[in-house]
Amino acid sequence: MVNANDNRYVEVQGLVKWFGNDRAVDDISFSIPRGKFLTLLGPSGCGKTTTLMSIAGLHTIDAGSIRVGGVVYTSKAEGLFLPPEKRDIGMVFQSYAIWPHMTVAQNVAYPLEIRKVARAEIDERVAAVLRLVGLADMADKLATQLSGGQQQRTALARAIVSKPRLLLFDEPLSNLDLKLREQMRVELKRIQHEVGITSIYVTHDQAEALVMSDEIIVMSKGRIQQKGGPHQIYARPVNAYVSNFIGVANLLKGRVVEVTAPGRGAVEIEEGGRSIRLPCRLADGIGPGADAVVSIRPENVRARRENGDGRALEGEVIQAIFLGNCVDCRVRWGEYEWKVLAHPRDRLREGEKVYLRLDPEHTLAVLP
Amino acid sequence: MSVQTIPGAAAADAPQSSRWRSLVTQESVSTLVVSVIVGAAVILPLITLVVSSFKVLDSGGFDTTWGFDNYKRLFTDRIIPKAFVNTLIISFGSTVVATFFGVSLAWINARTNCPWRERLEPYNLIPFFLSPFVGAIAWHNLASSKTGLLNVWAREYLGIETHLLNVNNLWGVVWVTGIFFAPLVYLFVVGSLRRMDPSLEDSARTTGAGLFRTTMTVTLPLVMPGILSGAIIVFVTAAGEFGVPFKLSAPYGWETLTTQIFSKAVGDDANHYLGATMSMALGAICAAFIYVQQRYIAPRSFTTVTGKGFRPNVLDLGPWKWVAFGYNIAFIMVAVVMPILCLFIVSLHPVWEGRIFLNELTTINYEKTLFWWQSGAIKAATNGIYNSFFLAFVGASIAMVLSLVVSHMIHRTKGFGARLLDFLCVVPIGFPGIVLAMGVLVTYIQTPIYATLWIIMLGYITRFFPYGQRNISSVMLAISEELDQSSRMAGASWFTTLRRITIPLLKPGIFAGWVLLFIIFLRELSISIILYTSGTETLSVGVYYLANFENEPLTCALSIAQTVVLLICIIVFRRVAGREALTA
Repeated sequence: MVNANDNRYVEVQGLVKWFGNDRAVDDISFSIPRGKFLTLLGPSGCGKTTTLMSIAGLHTIDAGSIRVGGVVYTSKAEGLFLPPEKRDIGMVFQSYAIWPHMTVAQNVAYPLEIRKVARAEIDERVAAVLRLVGLADMADKLATQLSGGQQQRTALARAIVSKPRLLLFDEPLSNLDLKLREQMRVELKRIQHEVGITSIYVTHDQAEALVMSDEIIVMSKGRIQQKGGPHQIYARPVNAYVSNFIGVANLLKGRVVEVTAPGRGAVEIEEGGRSIRLPCRLADGIGPGADAVVSIRPENVRARRENGDGRALEGEVIQAIFLGNCVDCRVRWGEYEWKVLAHPRDRLREGEKVYLRLDPEHTLAVLP
Repeated sequence: MSVQTIPGAAAADAPQSSRWRSLVTQESVSTLVVSVIVGAAVILPLITLVVSSFKVLDSGGFDTTWGFDNYKRLFTDRIIPKAFVNTLIISFGSTVVATFFGVSLAWINARTNCPWRERLEPYNLIPFFLSPFVGAIAWHNLASSKTGLLNVWAREYLGIETHLLNVNNLWGVVWVTGIFFAPLVYLFVVGSLRRMDPSLEDSARTTGAGLFRTTMTVTLPLVMPGILSGAIIVFVTAAGEFGVPFKLSAPYGWETLTTQIFSKAVGDDANHYLGATMSMALGAICAAFIYVQQRYIAPRSFTTVTGKGFRPNVLDLGPWKWVAFGYNIAFIMVAVVMPILCLFIVSLHPVWEGRIFLNELTTINYEKTLFWWQSGAIKAATNGIYNSFFLAFVGASIAMVLSLVVSHMIHRTKGFGARLLDFLCVVPIGFPGIVLAMGVLVTYIQTPIYATLWIIMLGYITRFFPYGQRNISSVMLAISEELDQSSRMAGASWFTTLRRITIPLLKPGIFAGWVLLFIIFLRELSISIILYTSGTETLSVGVYYLANFENEPLTCALSIAQTVVLLICIIVFRRVAGREALTA
């Protein structure tokens, strides 16, 4: 029997994958507790799909090891490689990969047939899983007669029907239109929660990652930038890359000039020959004198017509786009353009002079 | 939820077996076996050919020494240099003819409102499937200077003294080769013409350019890569064509490299080493042209095409559309209807003197060439029926199995092996059948397969399996790799995936490729003619035998039989492959 440590159910260590002269995946390690939903997030070419394919066994790896539930999937040092069909993984592909020469039911039954499950049990389990994904009345349709969303559900049903050790998703929602995508996010999460299978999800869509994940790994150039829960990644990015990739942020280069308390201090930024001191929170690894980037979310900048205590930054509104629930503004401040989300009732207009106030709690100094 | 382990899958429990398994998988073993087979089949004959070309036969005809004398003879021989020049004239000439017909017909069919153009298209393509050798026999009977039907009629009805046309010379070879290879150019061009964005032409028209000017300055330049590709393929195929010069020009003093290679492979004058040297020369020319086409021209072919699957507007030719229609009909008459009709007429006469005698019509020629159970049957002809069907059926099946595995390796595995195989699949296309056959002959002459059907089949498969491979590859490229991968993820092995997912999805491509190879093998001449012996004649060899040792009506009877079978296969092919499945 497998003695899996439930906190390190999936364990990837020192994973390296070369493509020619490119290090597509560059020494990546992470673990996932059993039953959790992890997202690998990053732009195309960041190595997220390569990592997924390595876990699936569709790529061989050049260094490191992958273990799931105590079973070694691959280990370069020990010279082990379990072929993909022996890994007991369910996978949903970007193109869904529904076999066009089979019906929905035949597609979903396939993994059970391969596992030599008895016919009666196959029928029962296929019917149950089709009900779960909401395709009960589509069983005898050919794959070519399905809409994108239905193909998506079929692919999901096929992936979970055999109750695999692990579920892998390779950008499964990227081919759907926006409305369907938003609906499927919630539904995918619900179904994953219901079947309780540990899942790894690859996407470049940060909204998707925030909605669905228990944990997110932000990747860039083959390396992990940050790992954490959705809220942590959004509110406490560790560096400028993560801050910019997740959501929108105003980023200003500066230097840490003061540490007042653990994790708190001030950064000095240069703007138009002036030095301006901004009190802020400090991300891990930022000490006095270090170069840093100040990251401030647009919704955390207050734009007012009055200066108040005289410490606000004076700027000019150069663009104000009314979006219904908020106004998306650009404010010129010296050479820098601030992105600011203002409340509609403030009625900011283009060409108007405004004063920007920053909240030290939501002003974060991160690694450049 | 508890985690279940699959029996036999627990790698942690059995590291040794897993380590071993990582090297020896169904996939790696099949891949290795097929690579070795393909590599040996393609490379061995070429190596032996190179080696043999440096062996010089002494005057006694028994011993050989090493040297360059064979290569010197290419320039000093009494006939070979002329044959060289003749080959170039024929290749250039037929390339011009084929390109002219191919491009003009493709343009009429794809870009104009020529009446009934969809109906005309299949007929334009028929010559592609028929045997050019049979075409040459037909045109010999239509337009040889003395007994050609057209010349007899010209003398009778037009009062011409000598003759109107004469195909028994280089120009006759150029004409017949040209019209038979026109569909090759057609196929290379018609796809991109049809998919071309009409706004490219429309914008030229709006600048004030007329129809003619637009076609010449916009339409044709856009499909130039396709035209060049087609032209190069025609040049190479014409250079390697044996049957047409053998029938039309060689007997009248115009030898070509192929007819010279043939005379060195069999007969009184045989000298395999000199034949190998000539094959080297012919092969080198062809391979160089194919290299240029594959490397520089083919990759540019799709740049003119937009991805949208719309049916473009066609040009309104006005009253000229009837001229286009007439021109197309004329091509079909000249390339398909007249030759077949002429063969049929001649085949019904006991002897042929250039005149139709309605009261003497007979089926005796068919009985003697087809009815193998009758005592008067000509064995060389009737053997060919059985042999060719066996070769075509078994050969096409073996070739498609190879093609399937090779395509899978090229498109689904990456790395050095895949690129090497891709290269090996292009090599046979670069070498004319007669050259490859010469290589196969010198390689296997000392082995038990010599003088059996198997050596012919080996030649067929080696030369033509890339055609089948291309058919499968085009379908495979259209099928997402994820369909295979998801089967592996569902727990199916490589072989189960091949059997349950890959093959069912590729069925149309596999069957279309099979029928195409079946057709090619059924009419093949230039490989068979080098490798056959008494008893292993093929259909085309039977036609050759009748043309050489019997009379014209018997020749025409077997030609008609072969043509009818091929026409039936074309209908099947069009059913399974659809309109544009042919583009090489």
